[in-house]
Amino acid sequence: MSALAPLITIGEVGKTYRTTSGGAVKALESVSLEIQPQEFVVVVGPSGCGKTTLLRILAGLALPSDGRVLLRDQAVRGPRRDVGVVFQDAVLLPWRTVLGNVMLPALILGLDRAAFRRRAGELLELVGLGGFEDKYPHELSGGMRQRASIARALLHDPSLLLMDEPFGALDAMTREAMNLELLGIWQKAKKTVFFITHSIPEAVLLADRVVVMSPRPGHIVETLPIDLPRPRGLDIFGQPRAAGYVTRIREKLGGAAPGSAALSRLEMSS
Amino acid sequence: MTTHITSAELIDDEVESSGRPRLRGRPELLLTPLSFVLLLGFWEFAVHHYAVNAILLPPPSRIARSLLEGLTGGLYLTHFLVTVGEAAGGFCIAAVAGVIVGSLVTQFWLLERTLYPYLIALQSMPKIAIAPLIVIWFGYGASSKVIIAAMISFFPILVNVVVGLRSCDASKLDLLRSLSASKWQIFWYLRLPNALPFIFAGFNIAIIFSILGAIVGEFVGGEAGLGFLIVAANTTLDVSQVFAVLIVLATLGVTVFIGLQFVHRKVVFWAESDDINRYS
Repeated sequence: MSALAPLITIGEVGKTYRTTSGGAVKALESVSLEIQPQEFVVVVGPSGCGKTTLLRILAGLALPSDGRVLLRDQAVRGPRRDVGVVFQDAVLLPWRTVLGNVMLPALILGLDRAAFRRRAGELLELVGLGGFEDKYPHELSGGMRQRASIARALLHDPSLLLMDEPFGALDAMTREAMNLELLGIWQKAKKTVFFITHSIPEAVLLADRVVVMSPRPGHIVETLPIDLPRPRGLDIFGQPRAAGYVTRIREKLGGAAPGSAALSRLEMSS
Repeated sequence: MTTHITSAELIDDEVESSGRPRLRGRPELLLTPLSFVLLLGFWEFAVHHYAVNAILLPPPSRIARSLLEGLTGGLYLTHFLVTVGEAAGGFCIAAVAGVIVGSLVTQFWLLERTLYPYLIALQSMPKIAIAPLIVIWFGYGASSKVIIAAMISFFPILVNVVVGLRSCDASKLDLLRSLSASKWQIFWYLRLPNALPFIFAGFNIAIIFSILGAIVGEFVGGEAGLGFLIVAANTTLDVSQVFAVLIVLATLGVTVFIGLQFVHRKVVFWAESDDINRYS
């Protein structure tokens, strides 16, 4: 991590939703965070803690009620082209081929089609979908669809990749494989990643820093640098330091109930 | 039925082999044609042996003769082409107008608010009731029939276009918005293709309606077409001719419907056939 100017500065961001019955729901409260270029930040928190809201604010899909978000010293007031988003579901357009889906950002942003078709092919190779260019989404498995959506998010070469529980819908085996592949892609592509998850081991495996959030109204409980050597594999969970991180995060999440340590050990060995 | 044959089913067939394994579990494949033949046989028998007036209810054999004469003599072909032309013209106008109006209405809320009362009023009105007026305005030729066909088939298309363009899941909208897509890019890349299953459901209804519209127009005042032929046969009490033309019309309707379903499946290949049924 360099001490350069942060890529993203989240300053005292809060978000209050108005319900249809006239009430107000406070989703986020006074969230402040700086993210360095090429840093891998993972946010963990219970359901409904406003993680997705925070990601939507970073993506420019929602505006904060309080505070502000700066991307390279510019306030984020709407979607920006140097951001790529990977959603919980792959969100592929069923009438477009895999290549057509990956090309979508180039079409929307009005980029040179020929050049980006070549890049799309390379990205599909990178995510392990070489040879699947002409398939349609319904012909792919869930993991393959999410790979395609990662390639799509990378197409226009954004400096920031926002990932909202991208592997949450996948089975455990596929999820582990995708985690390792994501690490490989991140190391090659040198992106800044803002990644949301429910899974503590996933957070420890991926992150430079883990941000732990509290239940609603969501705020940051702790920011924990993960000091483990890279490249990382699943074998890191054999190290006591990684196990320590898992336990620590679980405690911070409020899971300090008896048996949680045993649980975390269970989860690690799986 | 035929796509997944388990080994158990195959063994079953061998054990109970009755020479007709395909009919097992699908008795309608045998019963429907059988009942049809029985019905026709009874009809024929009843007309000949009971006091049924053969002019009012001709036996199937006479209807078949009329049908054969009409088909081979070229009489039906001429009138068939007229009706098909009118219906096709009306359908095409309705399809283009329905997609354009539906798109504009969903894209510009001001237009929707302004036009909505008109559309509701027009839709609630039985459009067949305007047919005589249209014939007065546009004459006895094909153009009045095209207009009536277009009017009748316009609304099912419009309604489905509007519903289809509105029904877009939030995650896909988020995806395009996150790429800073413009309103028209969202329409072109997302809303319109997303609406295609709905639009085709509208087409399925509308294409039958357009034939209906053409026939009604010919009833009200026409010089040619299958509807005209029915009215002409009716006035001369040529009931077997009326039945024969009805058979031609039914065949036309089924053919057109099946044809459109085929196109539907080719164009909207990604949607389940369940969707088609649900939305139509």
